[in-house]
Amino acid sequence: MKTLQTMTLTLAALAALAAAGVARADNERLAVFTKNQTNPYFQAVRLGTEAASRQMKATVTHYVPTKPDSIPEQMSQIEDVIVKKPDAIVFIPVDYKAMAPGVQKINTAKIPVVNVTDRSEVGAFVSFVGASDYDLGKETARALFKAMGGKGNVIGIEGVKGSLTNIDRQRGMRDALKDFPNIKLLASQPGNYQRLQALQVMENLMQSYPQIDGVFAANDAMASGAIEAMEAANRKALVVGINGTKEAIDAINAGKMLATGDYNGFLQGCLGTMAALRSLRGQPVPKEIVLPAAVIDKANAARHAVPVEQRSCPRWEDAVKG
Amino acid sequence: MTAASLDLNRGPLAHLSQGTRSVVYRLLAMALIAAAMSFASEAFLTSNNLLNVLRQASLLFLLASGLTLVILTAGLDLSVGANVALSACLAATVIKGTGSVALGVAAGLGAGSLVGLANGLLVTLLRIPPFIATYGMLWILHGVTYWFMKGETIHGFPPAFRAVGSGYWLGVPIPVYVMLLFLAAGIVFAQRTTWGQEIYAIGANPEAARLSGVPVRRRLVLVYVASGAMAGLASLIFLARLNSAEGDIGETLTLPAIAAVLIGGTSLFGGVGSMLGTLVGAVILTLVLNFMNLLTINANWQPLVTGVIVVLAVFLDNLTRKGDSR
Repeated sequence: MKTLQTMTLTLAALAALAAAGVARADNERLAVFTKNQTNPYFQAVRLGTEAASRQMKATVTHYVPTKPDSIPEQMSQIEDVIVKKPDAIVFIPVDYKAMAPGVQKINTAKIPVVNVTDRSEVGAFVSFVGASDYDLGKETARALFKAMGGKGNVIGIEGVKGSLTNIDRQRGMRDALKDFPNIKLLASQPGNYQRLQALQVMENLMQSYPQIDGVFAANDAMASGAIEAMEAANRKALVVGINGTKEAIDAINAGKMLATGDYNGFLQGCLGTMAALRSLRGQPVPKEIVLPAAVIDKANAARHAVPVEQRSCPRWEDAVKG
Repeated sequence: MTAASLDLNRGPLAHLSQGTRSVVYRLLAMALIAAAMSFASEAFLTSNNLLNVLRQASLLFLLASGLTLVILTAGLDLSVGANVALSACLAATVIKGTGSVALGVAAGLGAGSLVGLANGLLVTLLRIPPFIATYGMLWILHGVTYWFMKGETIHGFPPAFRAVGSGYWLGVPIPVYVMLLFLAAGIVFAQRTTWGQEIYAIGANPEAARLSGVPVRRRLVLVYVASGAMAGLASLIFLARLNSAEGDIGETLTLPAIAAVLIGGTSLFGGVGSMLGTLVGAVILTLVLNFMNLLTINANWQPLVTGVIVVLAVFLDNLTRKGDSR
C-alpha cells in the first residue's frame, strides 16, 4: 500500500515536472532550411540560428541543398523533416513560388514554421522575418548619391533578372534617383550577381564612358568586381553594394568602397529562431518582422567588423519593437 | 550571300587546305560580326576596346583550349568550371596562408591537373563514359569546395600576383600574352606533334587508332590532364583578375567554355577542329557581352541577343562551308 502511494506520488511529481518542462520548453528541436552553402549570407543566417538556439537552449539541424538553390532537393528535404517531426521549422524557400507544395506539406503536418528572408507566396507561417530589398536599394543608393554631392554620372550593375531581390533593389535605387535631379544614370547592365561578369561589364562600360563618378552594384560581389576593373584601369569612382558581407566591410575600411546595405543574415537567423521558440513557449510574436534598412559605411564599419562566428543575438525586446 | 561565299572559295583561298580554309571562314564570320557591331557603337572599334575584349576572352580561351583536346577525342569535360573554383580556392588559401605566390601557383596548377588525372583514370580504367565521369566529378568538386570554403570569400592578394591579371606590358594586357602563348603551344602540339596527331586519330576512329599502334588510353589520360591543368591555370588568371575567390565562381564557366569550342568548329564527335577555331569561339562569345554593354541593351533582352548572335555566327560559317564543299 505504502509502495503504491509512493509510486503514485512519484508519478504525480514526474507528471508535474513534465508539465513544467513543456511550459519551460527547453531542448526543442528546430529544423533550419537555407538555400545553399556557397553564399556567405546563408552561412550568416545559419550562424544566427545557432547563436539564438544556444542562448535559448534549443538544438538546430540544418538542411541545405547540395546543388545550390535546388527545388527538388529542398522538396525532398522537407519530406524527410516531416517524418522526423521537429518542434518547429525555420524556413527560407529556395524559390518563393515553386516551393509552395513543400510549404503546404509542412502546414498539413502541423509543424509550426517561421518564414525567413524570402517571403513565400503561400502558406501559414508563425511569422515572417526579413529585410526590405526595396528599402535597402533606396537607402544604399541614397548614401551613394549624397556622397557624390548630388551630381555626376552613375553606372548600375544589376543582379539576376527576374529575381525578387533584384527587382526590389532596382526599384529602390530608381526611386532614390528621383530626389537627385543632377545625377545621371548612364547605364544599368546585368552582372547576374556574379563577380566575373560585373568585372567585365565595368571594363566594357569604361570603354564608352570616360567619366563615371558612382557605381550602384546590386550585391557586394559585383561591387568588388567593379572595383577591381577600375583599379586595373587606374580609374576611381564611389562604389556601393548590398548584403553587408565581410569582404565589403574590409573594402570599406580600406577606403576602396563607399558603403554596403546591410542585409544582416545573422540577425535574420537570430530573430527567425527566436520567433519560432517564443511561439512554442507561448510568448507573443508579431506576424511580420522587417528589419530597418541599415547602411554600413566608414563611420560605423568598426561595429560590423566582429566576425559573424563571434556575434551573439540581441535581446528580443531590443530587436523587435511593438 | 551564297554567291559571295562561292567567290571566296574559287578566289585566293582555293590553294589552302580545307582545314586552314575553315579557320579562315570562321575568322571572316567573326570579322563580319565585329564590323556590324562597329556601325552600332563608336567605342567598339578602338584599340583599347579590342584589347579589352581579348583580355576578357583570355580566361574563357584557356579553359576552352584544354577542353578542345578532350572534345577532339570525342570526349567531354563537364568539370572544368568546378575545377576552376576548387583550384582558385586552394591557390588562394595557400597564398594567404604561406604568403608565397609560387606555392599558390603550384597548388592551383597541381590541383587542376590532379582533377584532370582523376577524370582520365575514370574514363580509361573504369570505362565510365566521359559525360558521366566528368559530371560526377563536377558534383564532387563542388561538394569539396563548398565544404572547404563554408561560404567564405578569400580576398586581397599581393600586387605582384594581381599584376598578372590586371597589368600591361608594352600596352597589351598580360593575360593576352598568356593566351597567345598557349594558343601557339596548342597549335604546335595539336598540328605538329605525333601526340597531337594521335589525338585527332583517336577522335576520328578509336579502333583504327588502336590497331595502328596509338596508345589510346595514355593519350586519353593526357587530354584530361591537359584540360584539368588549363582549368588550374584559368583559376590563377581568375584570382589575379578578381583579387578574390569563393566557392561558387565556377558554376557559370563550363557551358560557355564548351560553347566556345563548338562555335570554333570542333566537332562533338571528335577528330575535327582546331585551337585557332576555339580562340575565335571564345572571342565571339566575349564580343557579344561587350557589344551589349556598349549599346547598353536592356537586361531583359540580353539573353535573346546572345542566342541570336551565337546562332548567326555558326550559320555564317556553315554558309561559307557549303560553298567549300562544291
